[in-house]
Amino acid sequence: MVSKRFVFKRLLMLFPVLFGVATVVFAILHLSPGDPAVVIAGDRASQEFVNQVRSDLGLDDPLWQQYVRFLGEVATFDFGQSYQVNRGAAVSQILADRLPITIELALLGQFAGLLFGLPLGILSAVKQDTWTDHLTRIGALSGISVPIYWSGPLLILLFAQFLGLLPTSGRIGSEYFVEPVTGLILVDTLLAGNVAAFQSAVVHLLLPVVVLGIYQMALLSRMMRSSMVEVIRQDYMRTARAKGQGSKITVMKHGLRNAFIPVITVVGIQFGSLLGGAVLTETVFEINGIGTLLVDAINRSDYPVVQGTVLVFAVLYTLVNLGVDLTYSVLDPRIEQ
Amino acid sequence: MSTETQTGAVDRSIVERLRASPFLSQLSSNRLAITGIIIIVSVVLIAVYARITYDLSELMATQFGTNPAESPPSSEYLFGTDGQARDIFPRVMYGAWYAVLYGTVTVVASTFLGVSLGIVAAYYGDLTDNVIMRTMDVLLSFPSLLLALALVTIFPEELGLWRAVGALTPVYTPRFARVVRGAALKVLEDEYTDATRALGATDPRLLVRHVLPNCLAPITVQSTLNYGLAILDIAALSFLGFGASPGEPTWGMMLSNGVEFGLFSGAWWWSFFPGLLLALTVLGFNLLGDGMRDALDPRMRETVD
Repeated sequence: MVSKRFVFKRLLMLFPVLFGVATVVFAILHLSPGDPAVVIAGDRASQEFVNQVRSDLGLDDPLWQQYVRFLGEVATFDFGQSYQVNRGAAVSQILADRLPITIELALLGQFAGLLFGLPLGILSAVKQDTWTDHLTRIGALSGISVPIYWSGPLLILLFAQFLGLLPTSGRIGSEYFVEPVTGLILVDTLLAGNVAAFQSAVVHLLLPVVVLGIYQMALLSRMMRSSMVEVIRQDYMRTARAKGQGSKITVMKHGLRNAFIPVITVVGIQFGSLLGGAVLTETVFEINGIGTLLVDAINRSDYPVVQGTVLVFAVLYTLVNLGVDLTYSVLDPRIEQ
Repeated sequence: MSTETQTGAVDRSIVERLRASPFLSQLSSNRLAITGIIIIVSVVLIAVYARITYDLSELMATQFGTNPAESPPSSEYLFGTDGQARDIFPRVMYGAWYAVLYGTVTVVASTFLGVSLGIVAAYYGDLTDNVIMRTMDVLLSFPSLLLALALVTIFPEELGLWRAVGALTPVYTPRFARVVRGAALKVLEDEYTDATRALGATDPRLLVRHVLPNCLAPITVQSTLNYGLAILDIAALSFLGFGASPGEPTWGMMLSNGVEFGLFSGAWWWSFFPGLLLALTVLGFNLLGDGMRDALDPRMRETVD
């Protein structure tokens, strides 16, 4: 069992990290060459108007004042208003609308990766140094080497253009409108009881999830293999077999449980690459998640949106890793020390 | 005759050295790692050849008068032509030069920064260690591509692909710093460090002559694995529109254009070949990095009984 003290300690350690993250984001935006006041006022605005906008935004205050104000805003999840992407809308609202879209994609990709990656990794480890192992390893290495922005378009070309089996982009057919309740399209269509819309969403998400899942699958099967290979060599495994237990049962009962522990950490660390992959996948499949939002915002110098998006991504990543740490300590109580 | 014996002697000494070093002998018996080396060497040769042979401004200019636009691969245009009627084959070859050059600068810069910070943190400990490593922790709290995307905005657009290098270097640096700090701490605990110090070695000498060489193995593995990632991430930034300028024959830019303008008009070759070369190159580095890691891990040396 995890002690309350350990959880508390880990939660407390969150604050300096989040503080640092906010500071980095603040620094990045103030190092950017663009002038937000000009962006808002427009290229043709008079100098007086630009100055007016600048003082309205508090951009001519001393830097430390801006910094303190920024920290206060971040602490209350107030990221200001969008300049460009969705002019005047609160950034926190834009993020709330778009985040579930990315989360859904990322979770489905992660799930697909686990579903196929773990069994492949185990198979590879059990059949170490056979052709099955070699093929799986080469496949996994290829999987992490192939860029999403290459495999994605190729799959679109094959399944959507040539075979006409799947749609090319988006999350759902344009003929369907589903009231966003959770923001997760698969859940919302089911909540609305609209089976046709649900099917459309499944068909639309299939390719993006496959593309994202291949990468995760490749990563996870590698981790699972190396972890399992190590566990198989342990004395307790030999003991279990010596006691007359079948090798399959030994692997499943003793091997799996111990081999999972490092893999779980990797799932946490790789959550960052999962989010990065989601950004690229969204761009390729024109899905309006937080990834396309970020790219759009950077292109149009919409600083509050960039700020909010990057912060949310960092917080999400940090929280997932905290969750992983805690899970880890449940599985292996020695970690706490 | 004399030269022959000499090369023979050299060969023998290399073989002996290979045998003596468990790392190299392990690596040279790993077929996948050797495949990786072959891929990397080929890409570097292509890069250098393309840089010497082709004229960049010619590769970037539209070729409407001379070539057909979006012509499929043929004996004349091996990889076809793109929407600006440019021959894709030499452009893809030249893309290798971009990948190798910018990938190398990114890896060298982040290795150098990370190694310096890691060693300094390990050696001086206390406050220095804390300040450096907590900063690294913060940088590691961002998903890497997202941090790179945010950092790209700092640099003016005129810098082109150097923006990607500048954005990715701070993203990779903490990984090196962590690995090196760990390795350096182990070395610093060893007795020979005390002995060196007792002999009167200064801090810089101790760090550069004794601590650094003993951290080289993990640094090399980390560099190799990050090489592939750097090439992939630079291309990703270009694909998203941050990096190469339009028309520049980088793999990321060609992919981006090919997907945007060529895919739905059926010109698959426009994005296919740049992507293929990119994937192969990254695979090469991953194969080698993987083999190196296995060779370094003493547990991997014994086979299962």
